[in-house]
Amino acid sequence: MLTVKNLNSGYGKLQVLYDLNIDVPEKGLTVIVGPNGAGKTTLLCSIMNIANVFSGEILFAGEPLTGVITHKLAQKGISYVPQMGNVFAELTVLDNLHMAGYMLSKSEVNDKSEQMTEIFPVLKKFIHRLAGTLSGGERRMLAIAMGLMKNPKLMLLDELSTDLAPIIAERVMVEVARMRDELGITILMVEQMAKRALEIGDTAYLLVSGEVRYSGKADSLLHEPKLCSMYLGIKQASGKDGAFELSVSDEGSENS
Amino acid sequence: MITNESSGDKFKGLIMSRIVFVLAVIIALLAFLYFSRGISIILTILIQVTIFSIITMSLNLESGYAGIPQFGRVAAVIAGAFAVGAIPGRIMAAFMGLPSGAEYASDTVNFKLVPEINSLLAGSWLISLGFLIMCLVLAALSGALIGWLISRPAIRLKEGYLGISMLAIGDFFMWVGHNWKIIVGGSTPVNVPDPFRMFGADRFNVIVPVFFVIAILIFIYLNKLTQSPFGRNLRMLRDNDLSANAAGLNIVKVRTQALVIGAAIAAIGGGLYVIYTGSVAAIGLTRLTFTFWPWAYMMLGGIGSNIGVFLGVFLLTILRTMIIIFRSTWFGFLMQVGIDPLWLEYTLLGAVIIIVILFMPHGLVPEKIAPMLPSKRIKKVLADRQAVSE
Amino acid sequence: MAPWMSSGLIYASGLALTAGSITLLYIVTRTFNFAVASMATIGFYVVYTGVTLFGGLPYQYYPFVLIIGAITGVICYYGLNRPLLYRKAAETTLMMSTLGYDLILLSLIQMYADFLTYNFKLFPRRVTMSLFDFELFGERAAAFILPVIAIGFLMILHFFLTKTKFGIAMRATIENPTLAGASGINSDRVYLVSWIISGGMASLGGAFMVMAMTGTPVMGMYTIPLMFAGAILGGLGNIYGGILGGMVIGLTEYAGVYLLAQQFGPWVLGYRMGIPLFIMAATLLVFPRGLSGIPLGKIIKNLFAGQKRGASV
Repeated sequence: MLTVKNLNSGYGKLQVLYDLNIDVPEKGLTVIVGPNGAGKTTLLCSIMNIANVFSGEILFAGEPLTGVITHKLAQKGISYVPQMGNVFAELTVLDNLHMAGYMLSKSEVNDKSEQMTEIFPVLKKFIHRLAGTLSGGERRMLAIAMGLMKNPKLMLLDELSTDLAPIIAERVMVEVARMRDELGITILMVEQMAKRALEIGDTAYLLVSGEVRYSGKADSLLHEPKLCSMYLGIKQASGKDGAFELSVSDEGSENS
Repeated sequence: MITNESSGDKFKGLIMSRIVFVLAVIIALLAFLYFSRGISIILTILIQVTIFSIITMSLNLESGYAGIPQFGRVAAVIAGAFAVGAIPGRIMAAFMGLPSGAEYASDTVNFKLVPEINSLLAGSWLISLGFLIMCLVLAALSGALIGWLISRPAIRLKEGYLGISMLAIGDFFMWVGHNWKIIVGGSTPVNVPDPFRMFGADRFNVIVPVFFVIAILIFIYLNKLTQSPFGRNLRMLRDNDLSANAAGLNIVKVRTQALVIGAAIAAIGGGLYVIYTGSVAAIGLTRLTFTFWPWAYMMLGGIGSNIGVFLGVFLLTILRTMIIIFRSTWFGFLMQVGIDPLWLEYTLLGAVIIIVILFMPHGLVPEKIAPMLPSKRIKKVLADRQAVSE
Repeated sequence: MAPWMSSGLIYASGLALTAGSITLLYIVTRTFNFAVASMATIGFYVVYTGVTLFGGLPYQYYPFVLIIGAITGVICYYGLNRPLLYRKAAETTLMMSTLGYDLILLSLIQMYADFLTYNFKLFPRRVTMSLFDFELFGERAAAFILPVIAIGFLMILHFFLTKTKFGIAMRATIENPTLAGASGINSDRVYLVSWIISGGMASLGGAFMVMAMTGTPVMGMYTIPLMFAGAILGGLGNIYGGILGGMVIGLTEYAGVYLLAQQFGPWVLGYRMGIPLFIMAATLLVFPRGLSGIPLGKIIKNLFAGQKRGASV
């Protein structure tokens, strides 16, 4: 669905991503994990033409996306839920949903808003409240609902679980998985909560310092002890205990 | 930023050729004016160039080097003009036993007093010189004071707010001077004693070189200032005040110093202006002439470069003068429908600002990105490093 | 009504519109629009041209004022503001560009005044607009009509911003341009509309102000510091703060000068510009975020509710 080829991008003159290659298969949940500052958010911003793309190609369903102005991307069916500033705090919940569905016709917007309040009953309760008065988890729900308003073909999610209480974060993860399963949406998800994300994900990429260090099945990355402990803070759940070689190779290969 | 030897030289070469080209255009225009209108026009232009170079250089210090949007430049100019209008004349009057209090500025007294002072000045070049120096010193002091006063509220404001506050303060001083009769006679202008009186009809011939010398002295002073540690501080402040603060730079102190020095220099310009015109008419000291035109001069010339400032002032002053002189010949079609072509001066001013912003934001003479250390030291450091690695 | 009150009300309504115009443009595009000075003057001359050449009352020409003001704004947007915004120019540069535009407009206004004088035997350089007004309840009609028009304008604006799709999109873009873009909102259109509204408001403000002051080609240049003072007093947070700020500045100038002149004598008149500037400085000391930083809504609610509510989630 989405292919990133040899992407070099950053902010202003500062380069963050180096020769990045990513493939996001259709109807799957692709997870991007990695330590802070790796460039995960920059990747999403590059796709949305918010960051500065120096060179490389981004193809969406075969069509080039590089340089397409941000507000046209919603028309193409790409929905972006940023980590911060993902709701309009000074607008009501209803207005937020309406804004998210800006490209839709009036009846479509009303229908979809109805639908969202069914899926997220919490929103129905607060429908006329200012979004800024909602709690963290409620805002995330609203942000996801806003992402869904556009009937997206591709959703870009940026660290949805950050700052959420574990129970709420878990609920968010469950919703994301449901979106892939029940609604058939292709999802590209950047996550800090690596373990859980890898558990629900299909494909995974490990991003370190602007480069890909691992690409493959999400499940398999969980079984890479050195990568997991070095970059993801995951204590080895399965695999061997004890000392192992800390040689970092590009391909995932198990050490015994 | 250490630039590669050859690209640095190429850059310099480009700039030099630009400067030479602009100078050639200026000389050509001056020649044209001389042959069509005579020497007096040239002298007027030259005097205006010196005065406004001084004022614009002061603006360059504050806005070009220190990054403070000084939209109230007229305030310091007024301070200098008022100081020269109000004080030196009174001192001379007191010295000569003439009325020197509040009545000095009243319209009935002043126009009789000043010619008497002028006769004294005309008699002795020593007294005239002393008077001139006294005027300059008083102007600078009064400018410094105004600069300091303005810096107090403005020092912590940002960009747009700062610019507008400075504009408002400048206006305020103009209204004060216009209404407070005691200082400079309010709406009736006060005459200024003339230290060049002894040259009679050749007055302007002498004013030109004298003012030029003053302008060049200021130029040299500012050059030294901007190459000193203080100058580096100014540029650090302009380019990134947050990290300058983190590096221990006292922003408030540096900004205040820049404002005070800038105001003092602008005030000298104001003082010279009233000496040249012979009277202080507060209503004529407008933000258009003394804030906005200097900004246009500076932007065209090149923010951060005093040579650029000089070129900008010269070029635009010539263009303005040409509009005034040739208004009936070139713009006769306007006059036929009753429109006075003099308004085109404003159009020129607005157009220059817009064209520079849109198409040549660095001006004619862009500021070269000067390394923080003199190039000799950098070369030495590089050479030492090379020696070590071998 | 005391004489200063009716003039003050007229003048303040006009100043309020111009301050609101400056505020709107600043919060949407980060541009301090200096050209409001000439846009206001243009508003005056549109009305003047109307009543002198075609007769009638000033009020019937207000639609033209709005249209021409909007066009002036649109030209500034496409010619200057948009290319500079695209280049991510600094605030000072944005402001300077509007200064350049204002000076060109000023030269055109001056030339137009010359043109009127020569070809129509008029005196457009010192105009007392109130002569073209009619009387209502013993006062100039403007004192009643203008505040009503201003309030009507505000109500339409409020409706636009809160109940229409594009109006809400404008507020969204102001708050979070990135998210708005990602939602499919075209920020270019938002900027364009804000220039249209601002241009119209600025010109209408000038048309209002001239009913209580002498109309000259430089009336905008003369009062621009007050317009900025009104906007800054309002806090540059939302458009209503700007309007309120402009109202306060206008009223304090009139009331202040009148009261001080009574107290200290007519020499005070020369310093009238200083009074509102002083008020602005004093207010900013106490409320650094200006009037829009004062949560009026909450204060009123608490007064009537009589009890403190606990912090909501």
